Amino acid sequence: MLGNQIGGLGTPGALSHAYVQHPPLRCDIPDIPGLFYDDANKFLVAPTADRILYWKIVPSLPSGPPNSDPVNDGPVLSVRYSLDHKVIGIQRSRHEIEFRNRETGETCSKKCRADSETILGFFWTDCPTCDVILVKTSGLDLLAYDPQSHAFRLVESKKFNVSWYLYTHESRLILLASGMQCTMFTGYQFSAGGIVKIPKFEMMMSKSEANNKPVLAADDVHIVTVYGRIYCLQLDRVSMTLNLYRFYRDAVVQQCTLPTYSSRIAVSAVDNIIMVHQIDAKVVILYDVSLDSYAPVSAPLPLLVRGLPSNSRQASQTADSQSSAYGGTIYGEGWNFLIPDLICDAENGLLWKLHLDLEAIAASSSDAPSVLEFLQRRKSDPSMVKTICLAIARTIILERRPVSTVAKAMDVLLDSYSRLMKMGGGLPGVRRTHEQNQQLGGQPVEGSPVISQETSPGTTVSPVNPDQAGGVTNRSAQSNSGVDHGADRVTGTSGYRTSDAVNKRQQVVGEDSRPLSSGTSMQHGQHAGSVAISPVEMFQSVFAVVEDEMMGDPAYLAAVIMEFLRSASKAGLKAPSNLYVMMATLLARSNRYAEIALFVSNKIMEPSKELAVQLMEIGQQHPPTRKLGLDMLRERGLHHDYVAALLQDGYFLEALRYARKYKVITVQPALFLEKAVANNSAQNLAAVLSFFCEFTPSFKSTSDFGRYRHILSEMV
Amino acid sequence: MGLSTAAAGDGAQLCVFDLRRGQQEGQELDKILFFHPADCPILLQLSVIGLCEGIVTFTRIFSPEEDCEVIESEKHSHVFYQAEPDIWMVLVVEKTKVNEPTWRCGALQGILKEAHSLFAMFHGPIRTLLDRQPSAELARGHLRTFLTDYLSDFYVGKKLQFPTYRDSLKERGTVQMLTVSREVALEVQSLTTVLGSCLGNATCQSLILFEDLLVSTTLPPDDTLNLYTYAVLRLTPRALSSNASSWSYLRKGTSVNAGPTSSSSNGTTAGERPLLREKLSKGKDGFVAADFTATEVRGAVPLTPILWFQQAEERMYLCIYQHKSLTILLLIPASSLINGEEGITHVKKQMLENGSQKIVTVEQKLSRGWGGENAYHVGGYRYLLVDPDRRVSRASPPGKVTTLAKDSLLALNRLRQEVDLEKSRHKTSDPCHDKDFEASIRTKNNAWVIAKITRGRELYMALEKGGETLLYASTAVEKFSNR
Repeated sequence: MLGNQIGGLGTPGALSHAYVQHPPLRCDIPDIPGLFYDDANKFLVAPTADRILYWKIVPSLPSGPPNSDPVNDGPVLSVRYSLDHKVIGIQRSRHEIEFRNRETGETCSKKCRADSETILGFFWTDCPTCDVILVKTSGLDLLAYDPQSHAFRLVESKKFNVSWYLYTHESRLILLASGMQCTMFTGYQFSAGGIVKIPKFEMMMSKSEANNKPVLAADDVHIVTVYGRIYCLQLDRVSMTLNLYRFYRDAVVQQCTLPTYSSRIAVSAVDNIIMVHQIDAKVVILYDVSLDSYAPVSAPLPLLVRGLPSNSRQASQTADSQSSAYGGTIYGEGWNFLIPDLICDAENGLLWKLHLDLEAIAASSSDAPSVLEFLQRRKSDPSMVKTICLAIARTIILERRPVSTVAKAMDVLLDSYSRLMKMGGGLPGVRRTHEQNQQLGGQPVEGSPVISQETSPGTTVSPVNPDQAGGVTNRSAQSNSGVDHGADRVTGTSGYRTSDAVNKRQQVVGEDSRPLSSGTSMQHGQHAGSVAISPVEMFQSVFAVVEDEMMGDPAYLAAVIMEFLRSASKAGLKAPSNLYVMMATLLARSNRYAEIALFVSNKIMEPSKELAVQLMEIGQQHPPTRKLGLDMLRERGLHHDYVAALLQDGYFLEALRYARKYKVITVQPALFLEKAVANNSAQNLAAVLSFFCEFTPSFKSTSDFGRYRHILSEMV
Repeated sequence: MGLSTAAAGDGAQLCVFDLRRGQQEGQELDKILFFHPADCPILLQLSVIGLCEGIVTFTRIFSPEEDCEVIESEKHSHVFYQAEPDIWMVLVVEKTKVNEPTWRCGALQGILKEAHSLFAMFHGPIRTLLDRQPSAELARGHLRTFLTDYLSDFYVGKKLQFPTYRDSLKERGTVQMLTVSREVALEVQSLTTVLGSCLGNATCQSLILFEDLLVSTTLPPDDTLNLYTYAVLRLTPRALSSNASSWSYLRKGTSVNAGPTSSSSNGTTAGERPLLREKLSKGKDGFVAADFTATEVRGAVPLTPILWFQQAEERMYLCIYQHKSLTILLLIPASSLINGEEGITHVKKQMLENGSQKIVTVEQKLSRGWGGENAYHVGGYRYLLVDPDRRVSRASPPGKVTTLAKDSLLALNRLRQEVDLEKSRHKTSDPCHDKDFEASIRTKNNAWVIAKITRGRELYMALEKGGETLLYASTAVEKFSNR
């Protein structure tokens, strides 16, 4: 996927791999203090003086007017609906949160001590022991809600200093920053599986000058969830680099450092692709971390607005002309990036959804196998993915790419399909391996517990020390291997266990098959199946389509089919019998009859009636091949066809013998008799007649008997 | 010389002559293209060839379509084979016993046929050589070296030993295949694709052998057969190891005798004497090539044999690569290879670059599934299965066949002789249709020998613990056929 050419893309005018679709959701309500986003419920919230207006923005951007809830008048710092939507939580000040029961209109508030602490924020959780987490400068308050009395009870308090915090409902992960530079982090995951604490860790910050220590801001840290794994991206403004960390159940490991071209970045996740928006440079870089590769999917390209009414996506379209058309600026000042794939233009009151241009991405690389791998991991638009994959498969054959390349492409497609088959449709609650899950998306990607209950007691993890670069890379390598091999892998030198957060999540899901959350990801799960391409579809949409055009080079197509069969056999899949028919035809066209015989004898071409018939057809020019077809009929137990074919070839005595042995009564006696007459041998005709008299008792009463007896008497 | 002493005792003669030459009196010698033994007096040679020519001309009067196959005299049998129009090969063998023939005419003809096919593969048709050089020096030189090298395989001690009744469960002129699972077959085929693309601008053909068995081929049956025969004679690991070990006084003698030919001014190369055992060996790069001492190499002599393919209608270079038990014969079309040896070196490089991994995989998978020498032994049966369409046969392992009694083998030999006759009779009367045929014979030693031809496929069998009844024997055959 690297090294694409920026110019000359396949899709005309689309010098972009990511776009937002026009029209956006218009949310420009006059006289509101601001727009809020409730990422747990995916509500875009606009508080007015006495009401809360909200749009539910899943599964797609709505077009109608917002819903509304009456609330008390007052300042609004943030709004979060409870997960069952029964209670609205409104942060009124740095010391007070008001909870309002939507049915009864009852309210109650939670306040903190004004002198010693302030409320940084709050969120609802599906954790079994509590419902609301209050984040304060002095720590966390875990509150349980009692719907009857509409009251909150303090379950637990966790005390420590907090400078700022970061929470996404998708990851259920809260990161709490502390320390002089705000680089020390404490983390918790509040998930349906329980509360897990992440070991303290420190993020890397370069020093600009001696004694000038920069402070890490909340804006520079982003939690991103892809493939059910939780990552964190941290911008280091001094070195202009982006540090990527991954959360394991008992470790936080830096994976790599990515370059940046902007002092401000934003991060989105679209269909498991990490989009890093370089806001100053007005470009976006895509990363696909599924195979722990951290190379960008393509070079930095601008974000495009698609479907603008005034123009038709011309190549010359600039950011300026786009902005004039929709009335805002791409990567303008008012853009807020919402979890996971939304952009809210607060200045203009617009909400955009981000999309990947899979066609453009596919066209940007000539490395077909990796493009196909990339596409097979996508879930957002299965029919589009399938169409592109089939088109690629056809193209590489038509362009006569090296057989080894085509073979790799076949491997990718068939492996993907066979994994789907093994999953058997992705039932929830079924335990599966991490890799199957991330490829197929059978499970929602949200809410991954980071820490396992199985963490063995006594295993300790030392925090990542930024001064020991060697130690960091070492650990990183070990953790990577841990990812692939599941949970309980003991890594060598450091003597601690790394294991896969996702793996653990599967176990939690398996033991407690309550759905973790609703939302878009569940739909992904349902659609995921159709990304994969079955051998039958491969035949219909690839081989059958290219066959005519490949007539000039049957050997190449035959070699490609052979590789396809090899891939299919490796993946444990059966190929459609039509494919063998095609293969036999191709080989016969280049007079490769010997190979047909070889492939029939070693079962490369699996026997079927269709193939047998085709072999007999081909065998018109090559008798030994016809014999292969005949033998196949016999071996398949297709007695009627076998007898008929023997007869057609003039072996009528053999046909009779066979008919007697296998009691084949479906072939008309007249056919045999005709052949005997054609042979002009009274002896043979007499033999056939007497055979049928014995074999079919009713034969003597048929008109055939009389007619041929008459012929016989004339012959003698 | 060594040969003269050897030739004196063996009593067998092999000659090749051209009826279009030496038709004027006094020029009879011109007909003779090859005669073994070479030290046979000219007069005797002329009398053998004269007799043969007489018979051929005489039998043509009443059988213009079918060639004369054999004449039996009291002490000798003359076996005929018309290799090319008017070019005849005749093998004269001495009879050991009077009444019971110990060999089969078809088997001896098979030797002549094989010798000629191999010769034509390396040197092209004899007629072409004669046309190219009417003095026949070229043809005689090639025939002399080639047939002498070929016959060297038939020496047992100092005598030429041709196949006898003991070989009646063997079929010369067929390929023995290795049975592989579908999965492995697909891997092999994938390797074949890689081999085919080594040249780039044209497709290379290939044969893959495991031990002495054929695994895959891209050539038509006749060409496959010739190349397979050559490989089993000289190129497979087993053949190569016997090349090294079977160096003998006798062979040394023959090769010295045959050495100075008309074309030997270039030095003898593998292309000139492909059947010369001592010269072939496996190099460090895995390629099997003629191994010459420095004095013998002279400049740009092609070390890679060029082959003529009858069915494929093309001349090709042959490269032989070996990895453990796997032997790969790669055939490069001569017309597509522009710069000779250099081009071949390039193809070899390509092959190793693209194919090494697959070669190793295939060899591993084949070795894992390899059942050893007795893999195709079927308990209780001694059998030979022949598919003449595909030129393929499979037989009980030789070690198992030797356990049969002499009487069983003699009876089987007789039966096969009869079947051969029946086949050729049927072929003349109805060439388009196969005839089904079955014969079971109870031998003197109470064994069953059975021949069964079904839809062109032949099965020969000896059952020594076959029970009393014919029913038993035919049930046994049925059981075997259904396997």
